[in-house]
Amino acid sequence: MSEMDRDSRGGRAGGAKREGGDKAGGRRGFFRRRRVCKFCVEKIDYINYKDVKMIAPFIPERGKIQPRRISGVCATHQRALQTAIKRARQIALVPYVTD
Amino acid sequence: MSIRRHMSNVRQYELVYIAPAETTEEALAELHSQVVAVVDRFGGNIEKTENWGRRRLAYEIAGQREGVYVLEVINGPAALNAELDRRLRVLDVVIRHMIVRVDEELAIAERARARRKAATTARRVRRGLPPEPTESERQRRAEEDDDADGGMEQMFRGGDR
Repeated sequence: MSEMDRDSRGGRAGGAKREGGDKAGGRRGFFRRRRVCKFCVEKIDYINYKDVKMIAPFIPERGKIQPRRISGVCATHQRALQTAIKRARQIALVPYVTD
Repeated sequence: MSIRRHMSNVRQYELVYIAPAETTEEALAELHSQVVAVVDRFGGNIEKTENWGRRRLAYEIAGQREGVYVLEVINGPAALNAELDRRLRVLDVVIRHMIVRVDEELAIAERARARRKAATTARRVRRGLPPEPTESERQRRAEEDDDADGGMEQMFRGGDR
């Protein structure tokens, strides 16, 4: 029972993903580019907290950390990025909040 | 595992501290010598010192909008970290400091780099190319438009091997 449940859920999730991928271009009229992890593309192994230029694109106006559903960063790099941003905040390289 | 074994007592730390913008050169030198004294006492060594100079702070610290940043890369035992942290917290000249252990993450990054390099080499060898991208290939990638001739030549030469 539970196994079947899991199976069906897995199937549905897979289907939804594929469908989303197909639709990504034309959904709601605006073109959404395929998001790729910047750090994977540029082969950056270590996200340095001292390098404000590297982490600044992931800190929007408000000063929050940009979620990965928006920036497209992969999970591994988002974790590293999170650490880097939090360190940079401590030494006032990037803000905690901006009002 | 092997990393943990040989890094058991000497670790690498990065210390960043911020002094108020109006701090004189002498005061900064004095501060640096204090750090050096602590590091020496614990048998560590300072690998690198970088003065970033005056920078705007992202937010106000101790009524300051600007500060002088100094980075020190230190090798030493864990006790050194604790003592340095305590000292810096007491000092008034330092308005903010942070000590971060970096050896482990740098090792991880280094391993990732090595793994990628190995994968690239293996892939290239499977395709019958020389293991390292040659000079002409690198140039081609940089320019990315003309000079297809050199690339073809390279491929043929690779195939012969």
